[in-house]
Amino acid sequence: MRNSKIMTVSEAVGRFIFDGASIGVGGMNVVGSPMAIAHEIVRQKKKELTLLGCNLSVAADILIGAGLVKKCECGTCNIGCRGMPSMAYSARKYYEEGKLEIEDYEHLAMVSRFLAGEMGLPFMPVMSCLGSDILRYKAPSTGKKFEIIENPWNSGEKVLLMPAATPDVAIIHVQKVDEIGNVIMEGFVAHTPEMVRASKKVIVSCEEIISSEETRNYPEMTTIPHIYVHAIVEQPCGSHPTATLRYYGCDVEHLRMYQECAEAALKEGSSGMESYEHYLQEYVLSCATFDDYLEKVGGVSRLTELRRRMREVM
Amino acid sequence: MGDTVYENRELMVIEASKYIRDGEIVFVGLGLPVIASTLAQRMHAPNMTLVIESGVIDPQLKLVPLSIADERITRKAAMLGSLREVFGCILQRGMVDVGFLGGAQIDQYANLNSTVIGDYYKPKVRFPGSGGANPAACHAKRLLIITPHQQRRFVKKCDYITSPGYIDGLYGRKNAGLRKWNPSITIITDLCVMDSDSTLYRYQGSPGSGQLRLVKLMPGTTVEQVVENTGFELIMTSPVDVVDLPTESELSLLREIDPEGIYFQE
Repeated sequence: MRNSKIMTVSEAVGRFIFDGASIGVGGMNVVGSPMAIAHEIVRQKKKELTLLGCNLSVAADILIGAGLVKKCECGTCNIGCRGMPSMAYSARKYYEEGKLEIEDYEHLAMVSRFLAGEMGLPFMPVMSCLGSDILRYKAPSTGKKFEIIENPWNSGEKVLLMPAATPDVAIIHVQKVDEIGNVIMEGFVAHTPEMVRASKKVIVSCEEIISSEETRNYPEMTTIPHIYVHAIVEQPCGSHPTATLRYYGCDVEHLRMYQECAEAALKEGSSGMESYEHYLQEYVLSCATFDDYLEKVGGVSRLTELRRRMREVM
Repeated sequence: MGDTVYENRELMVIEASKYIRDGEIVFVGLGLPVIASTLAQRMHAPNMTLVIESGVIDPQLKLVPLSIADERITRKAAMLGSLREVFGCILQRGMVDVGFLGGAQIDQYANLNSTVIGDYYKPKVRFPGSGGANPAACHAKRLLIITPHQQRRFVKKCDYITSPGYIDGLYGRKNAGLRKWNPSITIITDLCVMDSDSTLYRYQGSPGSGQLRLVKLMPGTTVEQVVENTGFELIMTSPVDVVDLPTESELSLLREIDPEGIYFQE
């Protein structure tokens, strides 16, 4: 019998996330943000973090708003949802105040960087970005952002090279994992498979833990095999307020409330900061566990409503 | 027909949908492009294929999604895949016919800015950044851009080029090394339709400059109104066409797809 990698989120974060770590963040926009893991990182106050991802959403924004992030490398910082401006407001506030670096890439460049990382390559050719200001500006702490070479097989053709991205830790939330760490993702996978394989350590939270006997009956359903995974956290509704496909829809009302607090911090000075601090205190710091948070946002009856919303669109 | 009550923003979406042809592969961005593409799919282009940046391939949309990655956008897709496949394979290797993007700052060469207003390091406003817009602008065979027409959006020169149009002239993209260096770029607003003058050769005339020109007006809109709301000198063409009025069926379908008018709020 292989050893189980199941542990609590506080143990996983305590063991694998350290001050100064670079963290690959899963999820995209309003789906699959690893919120339970992000909340625990805030509670354990892991500092000086660098976040990597394609569409850094609310998990990243909470870490930024808690003052724990020094740099993002990403395609966007975006929580866009209907009736809400798309910018992640803590990211905007910290960037505009000069307290956060954002290394601007775009989604193709980021996924290519993870692709290089997962294949053990130093860099990956990318044919976008040329002619744009993504190549004109770089964050102050970035060394060499890119290189342009001539295609050795087609003289005169420019080829852009982007460096491999190899985060210290990846944090993702998925539908199912077995006890040894075989990951089964449903729905679109965005940049997750490449990012996970490129990362040195991987923490996965999931809606359900299944038996590896079950995995082995249908091994073609495995998205990521166990050899990449280091910690498994069972946390139903672990991406709230973002959605997990087939399980529950996005909690638009809660997301909007979060954005309003972050917007207040951006625009209303100290009283606005209070409202954001209050959010962090109420929904993250004063909760011993993510289950406590789920109770505060409406508990089982709220979850039932979010499940109904998911059924409606499937 | 003439009595049909509609808003110019609705007609903007309906007009934009007509630039998608049946059978095409369309990469869509958040917001108005999703609505216009869904409209095209349900009206005249049942064989078009939508691809969405999160990895969704060929969804059959019913209601307008909340965002580019939400659960609504996965409805009855042919495949829920990965970002690597959508960007690396479908887009970068050149399979996308139309890159369809939404509002941002736009300049006279149809460059788009969704990154910062003001200085990059000390900006007045920080926006989300490129996302999928840059690779779409680089690799699609054709570009459609849909946005409300406001002077603050239409500027002479973008503060930051997130996604390249013609960069600084007809050969701007070629000089930068982009493979798709002579795409058609069309911008549809609630006042007019513009395109990039990207003609390489004109019999007994000079080639295009890569700058935007006015090609169609919304019904009831004047050239002066367009000029007033544009922060650079548009190339004028004559005669300027007028956009067709919407039909009842186009309007009712649009209102069915987006019953709450989600993307008309700003």
